Amino acid sequence: MAFTGKRTPEGGAYLAIGTAGGAGLLSALVIWEVLTDPSVIATPVIQEITWLRVGGFDLTFGIYLDQLAVVMLAVVAIVGTLVVIYSVGYMHQEGPTRPRYYAEISLFIGVMYGLVLASNYLFLYIFWELVGLCSYLLIGFWYERPAAAAAAKRAFIVTRVGDISLLVGLIILFTQAGTLSFSTLFDEAARPPIDPGIFTLATALIFGGAIGKSAQFPLHEWLPDAMEGPSTVSALIHAATMVKAGIYLVARTYPLLIETPDALLIVAAIGGITAFLAATEAVAANDIKRVIAFSTISQLGLMILALGAGGYVLAVGASGESEGYTAGIFHLLNHAFFKALMFLGAGSVIHAIHTNDLHAMGGLGRTMRITATTMMLGGLSLAGIPPLSGFWSKDEVLLSVYSAGSVHGLFYLLWLLGLLTSLLTAFYMFRLWFLAFSGKPRAGHAGKESPPVMTVPLLILGSLAAISGLILLLPNGIATFLHYSELGLGTGPTVAPFDRLTEIFAEPLNLLSIGVGVLGIGLAYAVYARGWIARAPFATGGLGRIQTMLRERYYLSWFYDAVGTYGMYGLARAVDWFDLHVIDGVVNGVAWVSVRGGRSLRRLQTGLVQAYAGMIVIGVCGLLILLFFLLPALGWS
Amino acid sequence: MIPLEYFLGLSALLFFAGAYGVLTSRNAIVVLMAIEIMLNAANINFVAFSAYAPQLFGNPDATGQVFALFSIAIAAAEVAVGLAIFLSVFRRHGTIELDKISLLRW
Repeated sequence: MAFTGKRTPEGGAYLAIGTAGGAGLLSALVIWEVLTDPSVIATPVIQEITWLRVGGFDLTFGIYLDQLAVVMLAVVAIVGTLVVIYSVGYMHQEGPTRPRYYAEISLFIGVMYGLVLASNYLFLYIFWELVGLCSYLLIGFWYERPAAAAAAKRAFIVTRVGDISLLVGLIILFTQAGTLSFSTLFDEAARPPIDPGIFTLATALIFGGAIGKSAQFPLHEWLPDAMEGPSTVSALIHAATMVKAGIYLVARTYPLLIETPDALLIVAAIGGITAFLAATEAVAANDIKRVIAFSTISQLGLMILALGAGGYVLAVGASGESEGYTAGIFHLLNHAFFKALMFLGAGSVIHAIHTNDLHAMGGLGRTMRITATTMMLGGLSLAGIPPLSGFWSKDEVLLSVYSAGSVHGLFYLLWLLGLLTSLLTAFYMFRLWFLAFSGKPRAGHAGKESPPVMTVPLLILGSLAAISGLILLLPNGIATFLHYSELGLGTGPTVAPFDRLTEIFAEPLNLLSIGVGVLGIGLAYAVYARGWIARAPFATGGLGRIQTMLRERYYLSWFYDAVGTYGMYGLARAVDWFDLHVIDGVVNGVAWVSVRGGRSLRRLQTGLVQAYAGMIVIGVCGLLILLFFLLPALGWS
Repeated sequence: MIPLEYFLGLSALLFFAGAYGVLTSRNAIVVLMAIEIMLNAANINFVAFSAYAPQLFGNPDATGQVFALFSIAIAAAEVAVGLAIFLSVFRRHGTIELDKISLLRW
């Protein structure tokens, strides 16, 4: 595509849609087969070929298909194909740079499939790195803009820190267990015994990779800046797929994490902290895409929290199943749909009125009806209002964290953070909606609706966002499909829809989170739509300082930049000084000695024969004295 | 007879006289003459050992005297060659003062 794109219509778009669609179709076939006959994956389907043999060690390349992989396939296939279709409209006026875009997007979709299907950690890592590369290429798509180039570098470097952690974890695992293949590692009988302390270290380091890739605290700073790329890139990579790779990694590593409960505590804590932190930052953001980016970080935090909480419960034996696993992955599925929807919707808005600033928008709801409606659906879903998808999964997440609280008190605190996050989520999402779509147009004009090639994907994603949660209610729904017990990932008990409904709505905590969501929306309405609560007092004084702090992202980026500039750069300068003065000093010193020595020794060559003759005489005399007098005196004969 | 050591001492003195001449003369011809003195010192050494052979080794031995004859012949040949070299040097430099001839220097 990079080579032929210029000659194909729309810069290679249709080829990209073809390949992405084709892959999507294959995924759909696989998913269909799995759904119609679940026994196909009673044990994970593994197909491998030996790729490399190195002295008794075989490296295989293959596919590992289980329920988790099926869910990920669904996400990548649906969102990937829709985003490429949407790109035709969004990237239309880019002209000659389009082939590069479509090539990079197609590469990304390809390696993402590879990542979710990989059968051992080595290939997962390879595809992991490739995904990071594609992210760099795509964020920096408009590389002539210095902000974009800097953001791309930042994304790559920050995720690199995570990648190194992952690599070290994998190396430790490999040296301890001798293999990186999923089937061997996850089977307790086949795996060699590993010292628990080192095991915890290894799994914690592997989670470190997830921290980087999924933008968790403290490696979350790259995601807001990654918004410099096109909105389609944000939708695909930074909402639906690449950042989900970290969650996927944690879920995939579950059999190992279950053995190390302490690592799971770290997982859950970081998830909870990130969720709350990012939600607070989203409240003060003024760029439409930044708000959605913070929302992504926050929701990813919730997923990780769920995985951690659920795993902990299972690991310490307090429960026979991990509700958090199901909740986290279910939320992953739903979130992919409505977050991609939000990003594509934001892209539609930006495409229409060419600005990202929320305070320059307004009144778009009248003219951009489809965009406004679908974004409303997405917002409601994200806020957790039934019967939309976000409600079902978010409540499962919070429930699983709360039930873990009885095992370890920390989870009550994390549950509270999660609840507050939900409140903030509803608030900032509707702040965005009201600022953009209601009221009077502040941009001077109200824009017009985007072309169908862009709105149709929005509609599809909107409907998916609305209904995808309902798969919880099916008898063989998601909770049965993705049931993680002591025996590993398998099928759980079937529950009739009516029973599940009553179970959910009878639970007071769920009603509490619905109430929190409604409260958040109501507050946003009061402040931004009607102006009943004035915004001015929040902008000045003590509260104003809080707002500034939130806007500056807790000065964390400033902090990281300072660490980089003073810390790393200072270290680099010190090492450079060392290299220049000490090492080069030694090398140059040797040369200097040789040159000076030579210069003094050459004076011996006077060209006078008699001088040479004199040297011979002195030498001979010296030798004679040495041989006959000195050495015998020292005992040598 | 006088003890052998006196002959050896004379030979040594002559040798160092010749060496001093080689090392310090400015004129190349004088250096040649000094080399002749050194050779003669060696000859004295040879002949002395030959004369004292019955006392030192038991039988008379004329080897030393034969060596001395060889040495004289060789000395003559060497002087001839030396003079030829100095002729060339003179043609090249216009002088045979040894402290003026130092082309092969740093």
